This record gives sequence, C-alpha cells and structure tokens, in this order.
Amino acid sequence: MAQAQNFETDFWKDANLRKSWDEIVPGEPRKTQPYLLTQEAIALYCKAVGETNPLYLDEKVAKAGPHGGLVAPPSIHILLMFSCTPADDWMRSPGTINAGQSWSYNTHARPGDTIRLEARALDKFIKRQRLFVVHDNVFFNQHDQVICSGRGQTIRPT
Amino acid sequence: MTTDFDKLHDGDVINGPSFAVSRESIRLFCDASLDYNPLHLDDDYMKGDFGRTNFGGIIMHGMNNFGLISRMITDWLPPEGVHRRLETRWVKPVRPGDTIQPTASIKARQVTHKSRWVLLDVQVRNQKGEQVAVGEAMVEFPLPKGAAA
Repeated sequence: MAQAQNFETDFWKDANLRKSWDEIVPGEPRKTQPYLLTQEAIALYCKAVGETNPLYLDEKVAKAGPHGGLVAPPSIHILLMFSCTPADDWMRSPGTINAGQSWSYNTHARPGDTIRLEARALDKFIKRQRLFVVHDNVFFNQHDQVICSGRGQTIRPT
Repeated sequence: MTTDFDKLHDGDVINGPSFAVSRESIRLFCDASLDYNPLHLDDDYMKGDFGRTNFGGIIMHGMNNFGLISRMITDWLPPEGVHRRLETRWVKPVRPGDTIQPTASIKARQVTHKSRWVLLDVQVRNQKGEQVAVGEAMVEFPLPKGAAA
C-alpha cells in the first residue's frame, strides 16, 4: 500500500519507464494501487488550500455534523491521483501540463478509507502542435462506493 | 448572500478566499498533493521552452485553483447542500507573488424529480484582475424530507 512517506518525489527518476504520448493507448487501463487515506494527509491537504472547515479537521465537531464523523474535502482527489498510481505512471512525466479537469462527487472520502482507482487514457489528439491525452478516473472506497469520478486533459511533454 | 434555494437569483455572486501564492505555498501544495512535477519546483527546468510557451519560472499547480474554487463552494453551501460537480480549465499561469481569488455567480437553478440544483459560473482572477481559471460548478440542495418537487 502506498504511503506518502515512501513516495518518490523525484519525478525524473523512472522517467524512462513512463509511456510517452506515442505509447499511450486510449482505452487501456492505467496501473493503480490502493491507498490508505489518513487524517494527517487530509490535514496537510487542508493546510495547502487554506481549508479550516471543522468537518475536515475537528473530530468532535464533525461527529455532531451532517456526516457523523470526519470527512475529506471533495477535492481530495487531487492527492488521490498521485497516491493511487505507481511511480511509472505517465501522469508523473516531467513537463506534463494540466489543461483542465472536471469532477463529479458522490460521497465523501473519510480518514481510514482504503481507496482504489480505476483509470485509463480515454483519448489522445494533436491540437496546435500540442500532444493531448484525455484521462478518466473513478475513485472507490473499501465498500465499493464511488467517491468521485473525473476526467481531464493534459498536454504531454515532447 | 443567502443560501436559501428559493431566494437565490441568477447573477448572485459568491466571493471566495484570497490566496497569496509563494514558493512556499507551491511547495506545500507539492507535499499535500504528491505532485512534484518540476514545473512547480525547478527554476532551471522552467527556463526552457514548452512548445511555443516559455513560463519563465516555476508556476503554481492548476489544481490549486481547483481546490480554492471547491473550498469557496463548500464554505458557501448550507449544511444540507452538496457540492456535486466542478469543471475548470486554466487560462493563464499563476506565479509566486501573485494573489488569486475565486468567485462564482449563479447561472441557473433547476428542480428535478427528486432534488434541486444550482449551476454556477466560476472563475479565478489574479491581482491584476486577469482570469487565470474559468469553469462551471453544480451544487445540490436536497429537498427537505417529505417534500415533493
């Protein structure tokens, strides 16, 4: 199981193992790995975007709130994208430029959830000499409930 | 602004939090998102060209905009409201030293068989008033228990 403390932060390492735009096959599943979401990871994400909502951070308040306990912010998929994929995933290729994303939310992720990802490249195309890949992704919790689903476009390094 | 579904109007505006972007905030976002792409870390790398684009230095993660917009929406919603969808695209890079702020305006309200929905136009602007991100969001205002649409 991937843990943030073991995460390879040097994206140049293993860069040669990642698929280039030419090698990415639309429709082919990406390799993924389950991830245990911790309260510490949620708190760090909240700090990075200035979230102070007690439903994410204060167990006592959250327990009395609408979710009956702590939850993660909807946009926690930003962390999950990298924590649920291995080091040779092409999303980590240096120079990958995010052109935009859309996400739909079903249920909150919670601390203690073991989260898995189903993901693939959906399409690739060339526009104004830039190499695009469309990716789609669905995150599930350990109860096989959909947490969120999303798609995005990245411009691939040449 | 009210969060009573029946009192919302097209054009109503939501102002999100102001966010000061710095090298430190970008590095923190790397640690929080595990996105260590050198676009956000390596000035030497960013001296190079990306096709016809030269950023001239490190840039903020586009998804930092996304997280701020999402924060604005969940901060605005009443406890029973649900953030259901967010779509964004980035139109201008954000750099250390910039200050950005998301805003939203109500585009439409719709009642379906089982619930009530609000569509929002969203955007993020920098300190010069330039749009850096644009998009659309959808939030749900569930019907009170026992109520029919």
